[in-house]
Amino acid sequence: MTENTDLSEILKNYPDKWVALSGDSSKVVGVADKPAEAIQQAHAKNEPDPILTRVPKNYGTYIL
Amino acid sequence: MSVRFKLDYRKFPAQPTEPFPRRASVSRPVVPIALINGSLHVRNLALIDSGADYCIFHAEIGEQIGLQIESGKCLSFFGTGGQEQSAFFHDIKLEVGGHEISCFAGFSRDLLSLPYGILGQIGFFDKFKITFDYEKEKIELQSVGD
Repeated sequence: MTENTDLSEILKNYPDKWVALSGDSSKVVGVADKPAEAIQQAHAKNEPDPILTRVPKNYGTYIL
Repeated sequence: MSVRFKLDYRKFPAQPTEPFPRRASVSRPVVPIALINGSLHVRNLALIDSGADYCIFHAEIGEQIGLQIESGKCLSFFGTGGQEQSAFFHDIKLEVGGHEISCFAGFSRDLLSLPYGILGQIGFFDKFKITFDYEKEKIELQSVGD
């Protein structure tokens, strides 16, 4: 499976949400306030094993 | 037996800033992993962060694999802003690049401004030799045990 590693476009419209990505990260298959809801949406779209990520209000700059 | 594999950096949205006015995206060593607790698992994006002491994930992610978050051992830690935060530690498994490791990982309700889980020194860097190649946007991992 070829993975999409450029998430700069597909994630930018979901600030402050949990997002479920398809297994190859090519598309958003769930958006919700809680991970469980995003997973349910993914399952309804026949994505049994989505990848979860939280989208912040601003990805900003991290110095950890 | 040692296992060696490569993973890709990922690009995320970014806004231009005064010192970096042309920046529209940012590449980070963020990789897909699976957190596993018995028969339950959940996939999540996580930042490979050499500056973090431990592996820490959002509490909501831990709940997806059936953890009772606050039943774990509590650790207070400090972010770069200096604010005190709490994480509760549990024994889980992590799967990365098809390789499974044991991990004593923290789960915190104080991470909501952070987009990713954190893969830190104890629980991840002690399991892999890690080489970052920013130019090629590749991360090479070689297992060192477990």
